[in-house]
Amino acid sequence: MELSITTTRSRQLRKISALVFVFACFLSGPALAKQTPEEKTQAKEEKAAAKEAAEQEKLLQVFVSEPYLELATGPGRGYPVFHVVEREQSVDVLYRRTDWFKVRDEQGVEGWARARDMRRTKLADGSPFVFNLGDRAGFTTHDWEIGMGGGDYGGANLISAYGAYSLTDNMKIDLTLSQFLGNSSNGYKAELGLTHVIVPEWRLSPFLELGTGIVLTEPRATIVLPADRHDQTAYAGAGLRFYLTRRFFLRADYRWHTVFTSRDDNEELEEWKVLIACFF
Amino acid sequence: MESPNRLLLLTGAACAMLMLSGCALFRSKDQKVEKPQTEEQAAAEEEAEDADSTPPRVIDPNVARRKIKVPKIDNENWEIGLGLGFMSVEDFGTSSNYAAQFNYHVTEDFFFRADIGQSTAGKTSFETLGGNIELLTGDERRFTYYSLSLGYNFLPGEVFLGRNLAMNSGFYTLVGIGSVKFAGDNRLTINLGAGFRVLPTDWLAIHIGVQDRVFETDLLGEVKVTNNFETLLSATVFF
Repeated sequence: MELSITTTRSRQLRKISALVFVFACFLSGPALAKQTPEEKTQAKEEKAAAKEAAEQEKLLQVFVSEPYLELATGPGRGYPVFHVVEREQSVDVLYRRTDWFKVRDEQGVEGWARARDMRRTKLADGSPFVFNLGDRAGFTTHDWEIGMGGGDYGGANLISAYGAYSLTDNMKIDLTLSQFLGNSSNGYKAELGLTHVIVPEWRLSPFLELGTGIVLTEPRATIVLPADRHDQTAYAGAGLRFYLTRRFFLRADYRWHTVFTSRDDNEELEEWKVLIACFF
Repeated sequence: MESPNRLLLLTGAACAMLMLSGCALFRSKDQKVEKPQTEEQAAAEEEAEDADSTPPRVIDPNVARRKIKVPKIDNENWEIGLGLGFMSVEDFGTSSNYAAQFNYHVTEDFFFRADIGQSTAGKTSFETLGGNIELLTGDERRFTYYSLSLGYNFLPGEVFLGRNLAMNSGFYTLVGIGSVKFAGDNRLTINLGAGFRVLPTDWLAIHIGVQDRVFETDLLGEVKVTNNFETLLSATVFF
């Protein structure tokens, strides 16, 4: 049997709204042909009440199993604690920001509880409340990562940002957007690739990458060169990921590019960069 | 004559149904009293029978476990917003500026910021004094920049408006790299800054920030490092 895990209040609200709905249906049956504006607004209010009840339905309820749960005024360690929730009482989890949860207690008091304390709360069935903490285990297994940094692209300065989605712990699909600023030309590039992290459990973890993209090259204003051009590029690369702390890691890589130019010869370029990245 | 007969029959049937169901109601109450006796008797008989063969069962292991479906908790770590302010382009005066920013809060201390903005540089003093001399065309005066920064939150606190209103606040510093397009050329910039954030509600933040965008240029004849200060008042929402 699957039980609801919402508060009694929301259950009551749901019951009341269901009763109101049935009652409204019963009444509106004969009067359906002619609905006055008052009835319309009433119907709207009922719909809103039902929606609110449904929204409350989605909230997770957890029970305090330590002597008390502290609630702070803001999501940071500097903000003062203004309220405590006693043992055996429940809180509804509204949302999360970094390592803080916005919760509402049975009296309707809302405040921020730290993730470390929320880890010690229990679900309605007595099992512990488990969630992603953003630690070493998260470095190995996560869905998303983003990062930014700089480096060198064929002698030009490189500014780079990337986002990656983990298909598995080992395999990630990533999109990199970069700008390069050189002495003879500037430009932008966008690349889509696959990254294979060889041993994702290691703190210093090597990876291989392969991908393709587009390079837009603009000649510098002061030097006479052919007009802007678009070229396709392909790369193979290797790099290292190093877990720093919390959700942060460093990602350094070397990419060997082949730019398929419209000239007789393809251009071959080396790129290296260091990025600071986080996972979530 | 047929219809009154049918009516009579139907009424009779209805009454019978009601009475039967009524009896069932009463009977169920009586049964409740009787049931434990029969169960006890049966149990006693069973015990007497099983006493020789197997020991009595103390705990019934068939416990129905409750399944909890944990709903997805909403993460509100992203922040997006717009701002207005002033940009002081070195040698080119100060002019109005507008910008968009995008933040991702990684931990309570650190966040990533990507911002993009635009301003139009004014005239150098040489142009102002020299009459009809124009160093740059209208398009070249456009000062467009972006940066990728790492922010660090410090000095969290509250600001008070009157007796009854307290709002969360905090200072932060920023350091990052980016690029600026000015005078028909792109330059690599390093940006350093600080800001103050006030949150009237949990999802809305008002920022006042200052950033110095430093880049090297040879626009006025010699290669030099320029400091371009940006002051920005912005509003962001968390989602």
